[in-house]
Amino acid sequence: MPFAPKPDSALLIVGHGSTENPDSSTPYFDHADEIRRRGLFREVHCCFWKEEPSLREAPYLTDCTDIYVVPDFISEGYFTQEVIPRELELTGPSTTVRGKTFHYCLPVGIHPSMTGLLLRRAREVAPGVDPATATLIITGHGTGLNQNSTKAIRDQVELITASGAGYAAVTDAYMEEQPFIAEWDQLAPTKNVVVVPFFISDGSHSYQDIPVLLGIEPEVGPAASQRDVFRHNPHPLRGKTLYYSSAIGTERHLADVILDQVADFDLRHRPAATA
Amino acid sequence: MSLADTLRQALSHGLHRIGQIEIRTIDPAVPAYRLCHADDLAQADQPAFGGLAVHRGADAARELATFSPDGEYRFAKAQTNLSSGWVLVLEGLDELHRALDLFYPAALGVWAAQQDRRLEVQHLRDKLNRQTGMYRFARNISDAGAQRLVREVCGPAHQCAKRILWQLDANTPLEDSEASRYTGIPGDLPANEAIPLLCREACNHFVAECRQASKAEAEAKKAAGD
Repeated sequence: MPFAPKPDSALLIVGHGSTENPDSSTPYFDHADEIRRRGLFREVHCCFWKEEPSLREAPYLTDCTDIYVVPDFISEGYFTQEVIPRELELTGPSTTVRGKTFHYCLPVGIHPSMTGLLLRRAREVAPGVDPATATLIITGHGTGLNQNSTKAIRDQVELITASGAGYAAVTDAYMEEQPFIAEWDQLAPTKNVVVVPFFISDGSHSYQDIPVLLGIEPEVGPAASQRDVFRHNPHPLRGKTLYYSSAIGTERHLADVILDQVADFDLRHRPAATA
Repeated sequence: MSLADTLRQALSHGLHRIGQIEIRTIDPAVPAYRLCHADDLAQADQPAFGGLAVHRGADAARELATFSPDGEYRFAKAQTNLSSGWVLVLEGLDELHRALDLFYPAALGVWAAQQDRRLEVQHLRDKLNRQTGMYRFARNISDAGAQRLVREVCGPAHQCAKRILWQLDANTPLEDSEASRYTGIPGDLPANEAIPLLCREACNHFVAECRQASKAEAEAKKAAGD
């Protein structure tokens, strides 16, 4: 269903950002630009936890009094359930703070339409590779501190497996908890292995840390924007053929997932807004 | 008044500077604007902009604001190390507004709220007391430690061009220092010619510094008691 324009509302895309990696916030601005170009909202803005504008400054960015807040995060957890509501002073799905009403949508990473994006990215990174001969690994950070941080990835693995995409195997893997992405060759029963990082940006984790764990790089290198040449697939490693994609959040169509979360919010909490 | 109207009115009343950026109205009828670094004023007025690199459209502002001249990543956009050597040509007030928000995020809106007396300022203790996770410990910093950090982290001597509006708490103003006195207007322009950069609550960089300092204070106290 086409997205119903909201000419009186603002869209606020919330990202993590980084004080160290200049590429971290790029996808959020790209998604905002894409949605702004379509003219679906009166205003489209980004705000961040680690960069500027901060979440606390965000209300001052806009003239609108009706604001949809979409966390451009891959999972529900500490940031989406604690930090963002605290910083924006949100107490429920819709909260009015000093004359502005914020509608708090779910994070992009848990929307079912992410499955299509992951499969699209997996096909693009390994063109000509028959899925029946390949293992698809969706990789994330993982942390023992929060079960939710891996749930979004485990859910996607189940959805991809059930989708009939035809991969010989589909599995999850993490930087800091089992199954470890560093053991990708042992996790994959096939010669061809496609790894898609379930991160929003090609920041330090997906562009600098995971390539070391995979064996593509001997040590952590510079940020993506500060390299002359982007890496080229495939990588013959450990007796297998490895295809490593950029972070799923850099996919242009993630803008559609942001809109999907706004539409889902209306369906659940503002049925009148969908009319 | 909308932010666009606030900006239009400010320009028509003679404001022409924000942070390190000079705003030139090329043609108020169109309208069209030109931004450049305040250090490049002489070149920007020469034919062909004196050889400055010409960029067009608000989107270019993000790249211009990302790195300092020595290639350092500018995660705090009020840092006083904005690169020079460019001119940015913008068509329309919306483009200008968007470019300014990329150079100095939310600065126009925060200033407009201050003008309208609706700006919410949060004092440091309130900011620290609501921190969770790894930053929870930041609240333990002493008043003396926090005052010292303002002197050592904030202000133009430490590359921040914002005017600090907050205190330690409602009853404890910041001690007098270059950082606490700073007006938010780089250079020596009169206040009616510039939009000041305002700090309405301590930034996350300052909170991270408070965390480090409070840990050091706790360790020093423990060492003294051993």
